[in-house]
Amino acid sequence: MSDIILGIGDYGASKNPGSMVKTYALGSCVAVTMYDPILHLAGMVHVALPESKINRAKSEECPGYFADLGVPLLFDEMVRLGCQRKGRGLIVKMLGGASVMAGNDTFNIGKRNVLAVKKILWTLGMGPVAEDVGANHSRTVSLYADSGLVTVSCPGRGQWQI
Amino acid sequence: MESRITFENVREAIEKLPMLSPNVSRLLQIMADEDYELDDVVNIVKYDAALTAKVLKAVNSPVFGLLNPVTSLDRAISYLGKWIVVSIILSDSTGDLFSRPLAGYEGQQNALWRHDLFAAFSSSEVARYAKQSFEKELAFTAGLLHDIGKYVFAPFWKQASGEALGRIEEGSVADYLAAERVLAGLDHAQVGYEMARYWEFPEPLQQAILYHHTPEQAPERFRALAYAAHLGDMCAMMAGCDTGNDGMQYQLDNGYIEYFELTSESLAQILLETEIQFKQAISSLSLEEEVDK
Ligand SMILES: [Fe+2]
Ligand SMILES: [Fe+2]
Repeated sequence: MSDIILGIGDYGASKNPGSMVKTYALGSCVAVTMYDPILHLAGMVHVALPESKINRAKSEECPGYFADLGVPLLFDEMVRLGCQRKGRGLIVKMLGGASVMAGNDTFNIGKRNVLAVKKILWTLGMGPVAEDVGANHSRTVSLYADSGLVTVSCPGRGQWQI
Repeated sequence: MESRITFENVREAIEKLPMLSPNVSRLLQIMADEDYELDDVVNIVKYDAALTAKVLKAVNSPVFGLLNPVTSLDRAISYLGKWIVVSIILSDSTGDLFSRPLAGYEGQQNALWRHDLFAAFSSSEVARYAKQSFEKELAFTAGLLHDIGKYVFAPFWKQASGEALGRIEEGSVADYLAAERVLAGLDHAQVGYEMARYWEFPEPLQQAILYHHTPEQAPERFRALAYAAHLGDMCAMMAGCDTGNDGMQYQLDNGYIEYFELTSESLAQILLETEIQFKQAISSLSLEEEVDK
């Protein structure tokens, strides 16, 4: 067992057979998964806020907390572990970004996170092939190294795949 | 409907709760006061050896990386903040209130503790942006206690909770709180209020617990505090620190704008600041191993 469990602001990747990368309870946070189907290399980042400029100190200490820094860092980690694929060869998915009920613009951090992730992916020349974002429920996300399967679950709502 | 819960049921369950130690009551009373000193808090703790030991253990935990061990209670509390005392003293004297898995909510072990601690830090961060200032520590305590009702409510709620999400989805109820009321006859905020009265919490805390989902209905003098707890609760759910199947299933009460000056930037700051304090708190209170789901 060499599963990687990510907290808020963490990123990580694994190509160990039978392993998975998992993060619990994304509320307004967003998880980006990257999967290299040739290497069976699975990576994920759990970002909480769209932009790092809000707090320089924290962004140095925990860059994965911010979409604009966390997503490129995940890609660097994929490359470090041997990934040579870009664009369509790498399977990118995006999950989370939920909002509270009756939320106003101020409270719609989930939506801002989703937009920020899309923007930085675009800058990197990538785009998500699947997404499960928005609505108002939390998501626990797992990405399996062997298959590249992404499963999502939420208490009271069961489990599904994207 | 047989799944209905009466106030009688609730009262019986509440009467089985442990009594709060005089220390807890005094501490809550003092902290609800507008001008209290650090000394007042130190004086409560210093006669309680077990409590003193826990505070010192927390401040000397590796997460704070202090070079020299702190051995004085004054220094420990002024370094950590009074939150540490409230948190330790409450978790100590309420049995498994914060740690027991919440049956009807499908909540994990310690989910209520994590949720309430996160809400406590974010409520006190929100208090910084109040248009009329009020005690940050009171906001912290209100955040910490806002959902205590779930503890007593959860075992009853178990029978009816399966229908709650469906009702919300089909739009027949506005949110989870309304689902509780429709399906069970009363909600966790009302139950929490009964608990707060039984334990003779100071009135502002009783009111904040009762109105944490409906702050616009709180009496004027407690309304800002109820909003602080309400927003802290929202932040906790947004950060993924929820208590189970009710996560993000409550309506935001936009009336907060009358009491707090919040922008998307300040909200981001609040979440960031809270996350840092929350992480330190759970590791200094040695909650980490237990909370890893
Ligand atoms: Fe609540
Ligand atoms: Fe809550």
